[in-house]
Amino acid sequence: MDGHSVFQGRKRSSNYIGHKFDRKNHHLGHPGTPYASRPKRRRIKYSDEDQNFPSVWEDDKQQESELGLGARNRNLDSWFKVTIPNGKKYDKTWLIKSIQDFCSVPLNVVDFHYDKKRARFFVQNARTASALKDISNKICDETSQKIPILVTPSIVPYSVQNKFTSEQMEVLKVAVMKRYDASQKSLDLQRFRFDQDLMDNDIDMMLNRRSCMIATLQIVQRNIPELLALNVCNNKLYQLDGLSDLIEKAPQVKILNLSRNKLKSFFELEKVKDLNLEELWLEGNPFCNHVSDQSDYISAIRDLFPKLLRLDGKELILPAELILPAQMDIEVPQETRTDSELIKNLVLQFLKEYYLCYDNGDRFRLLDAYHDEACFSLAIPFNFNDPDMSNLEEYFKYNRDIKKLQDSYTRMRLLKHTKQDIVDSLSLLPKTQHDFCSFWVDLCLHTDIMLCFSVNGLFKEVEGKCQGCIRAFTRIFIATHYSNSRICIMNDELIVRNASPREIKNAFISLPPADTSSKPPLSEEQQEMVKSFSVQSGMKLNWSQKCLEDNGWDYTKAAEVFTIMQNEDKIPKEFFK
Amino acid sequence: MKKYSDWSRGDKHYGRSGYSSREPHTSYRYQKSQTREEVLTPALKEHAISSSPMAMAVDFKTHVDQACRAAEEFVNIYYETMDKRRHAIIRLYLDKATLIWNGNVVTGLEALAHFFEMLPSSEFQINMLDCQPVHEQATQSQTTVLVVTSGAVKFDGNKQHFFNQNFLLTAHSTPTSTVWKIASDCFRFQDWANI
Repeated sequence: MDGHSVFQGRKRSSNYIGHKFDRKNHHLGHPGTPYASRPKRRRIKYSDEDQNFPSVWEDDKQQESELGLGARNRNLDSWFKVTIPNGKKYDKTWLIKSIQDFCSVPLNVVDFHYDKKRARFFVQNARTASALKDISNKICDETSQKIPILVTPSIVPYSVQNKFTSEQMEVLKVAVMKRYDASQKSLDLQRFRFDQDLMDNDIDMMLNRRSCMIATLQIVQRNIPELLALNVCNNKLYQLDGLSDLIEKAPQVKILNLSRNKLKSFFELEKVKDLNLEELWLEGNPFCNHVSDQSDYISAIRDLFPKLLRLDGKELILPAELILPAQMDIEVPQETRTDSELIKNLVLQFLKEYYLCYDNGDRFRLLDAYHDEACFSLAIPFNFNDPDMSNLEEYFKYNRDIKKLQDSYTRMRLLKHTKQDIVDSLSLLPKTQHDFCSFWVDLCLHTDIMLCFSVNGLFKEVEGKCQGCIRAFTRIFIATHYSNSRICIMNDELIVRNASPREIKNAFISLPPADTSSKPPLSEEQQEMVKSFSVQSGMKLNWSQKCLEDNGWDYTKAAEVFTIMQNEDKIPKEFFK
Repeated sequence: MKKYSDWSRGDKHYGRSGYSSREPHTSYRYQKSQTREEVLTPALKEHAISSSPMAMAVDFKTHVDQACRAAEEFVNIYYETMDKRRHAIIRLYLDKATLIWNGNVVTGLEALAHFFEMLPSSEFQINMLDCQPVHEQATQSQTTVLVVTSGAVKFDGNKQHFFNQNFLLTAHSTPTSTVWKIASDCFRFQDWANI
């Protein structure tokens, strides 16, 4: 090939690998098999192949045969490549910790990175590799899906192959320290490749490369671990896999400048979210040009870095709604305090009875709760963000949203009048189970005879197509309560929507655990059984205990029962860790 | 029969005595609030004295229609006033009205005025509305409507929050129209638990 072609595209030819070993690193002694048609070495130039660094490793099988050293390599400390398909969706720290927890052999993770949807890293010896193979499909994620772990032999990872010599590290150290400002504890690595010292010594410091980043971070860790501010502006960083190690090497970094690099996706920032950043610079990266909604962008960044104060040099405004509640002067007039207690109890009692009947009994029994001429209607908030509103179709049939319904006949039809009509309609709505612990009640108005209160909370569908779906609801009741006696509903308005992911996470967590309070304490042996059962099944300790108890503490039998139920998907997700 | 001939004479101009003096663009259905600072709907019809089921059914439908009209008119004015003329929002509340804002209770015009002043500028977007007439037995014959809304709001241009809000509106009649005022207002972010 000619030295002039700037862009060789993404061709994955065997010669592609040859380029990786550029002339600076030849003296590291890599197997010097002449490649048949290796491209002429390029001048010092940023190349685009570097951005997809990890994809190079897919050609390792080809390499081995080309090198003709397959057999020889295996005699040395052989390396293995570990792949977790779909690993991208897991938090790196959680993933590594889970693997470490399950793995019997201590783990030394080298070059952790993401490749499309996969997470990948390397381990050094066969023992570790087989231990990892063994735990494939043993770890369960939050959705109870098993995590497969694939292990294949691999050549030595590039960052290890391209390790710098100790002389080079010395030069690097000098270069780094020259750029360190001790008073500010800040390190300026802008355009690090073109540092005079490095160029004079023939060190090609491309921070996008794992080996270079590792070496630099090592210098930081050994000499300036108290670092507070790091500037890696303008270093053609295409990914932040290497920088994700920063949290271990310099955990106190609060200011990070990533501007004018080549980050194409917002996801890259997730790799460094462990840092407690107060100031962040991102401008000049390709993904910044694709921001459609500025405030969504800023709140997404804030979700990753909750302590962030400044972005791209501008102060971030604290959300006003955080400030307001504290400034409210809430006064409850003395004389009505006992009244509100009474009312509160009345309302809570009513809600308990109402929902107990609504969930478990025949909803026709709710007739007694309503006035003869009561009204009921249901509405569903239209939400652009909810992708799956089709699963609310059982409710949509009754949706009385007069913003969209102009026809007065339909408006009348959907407003249920008289208690018989109401109870008939309620019986047609899907069966539910409400999460009492999620309830929050606002007492909107109370007079001598009338109470108006709204209940907010969550419930779960317990049968039908949408079984297991968790919904969020708001229900407004207007009722009469003559002298604090029985509540009689006059108006009932129900608003149903799908619960947000956060709400789902917090739903039904206070399930009453197996009642262990009235039973004798567990023996040592029983405690051990519970612990192992919990580890093996993935269920929480209390549910593991229940399973064992229900099966007479026969471990094998309990395990069988568990497996059968698990295969039939009968075990609720809340039972698992 | 006489009534019908009256109609046929005047209907070309939607003319009915009493309305002809109004502005030409006024819809024949009802007069929209001129100032947009009050929620107005046509005067309440007198309650049918007869208690026959037919009469009662008519009554109920009338109440429902009236509630819908009031709710639609109210929601338009309320959120526009909140966004663009916040100083005027207080006029929509009764003297003894109560506001519950994400669990914080605010009672009385003075406290309400202070609260709305402190609240940052808002940008509301309503995407759902429902209403019900409240039975008079609960309200001692004070005509009341329950209005329920849902939508999204941005305060000071910050992150958007989805919210649910419900109002109790009470009617105060004048000879020509009915003025609706807020007796209670309950507002909650859908994600209030995460703030």
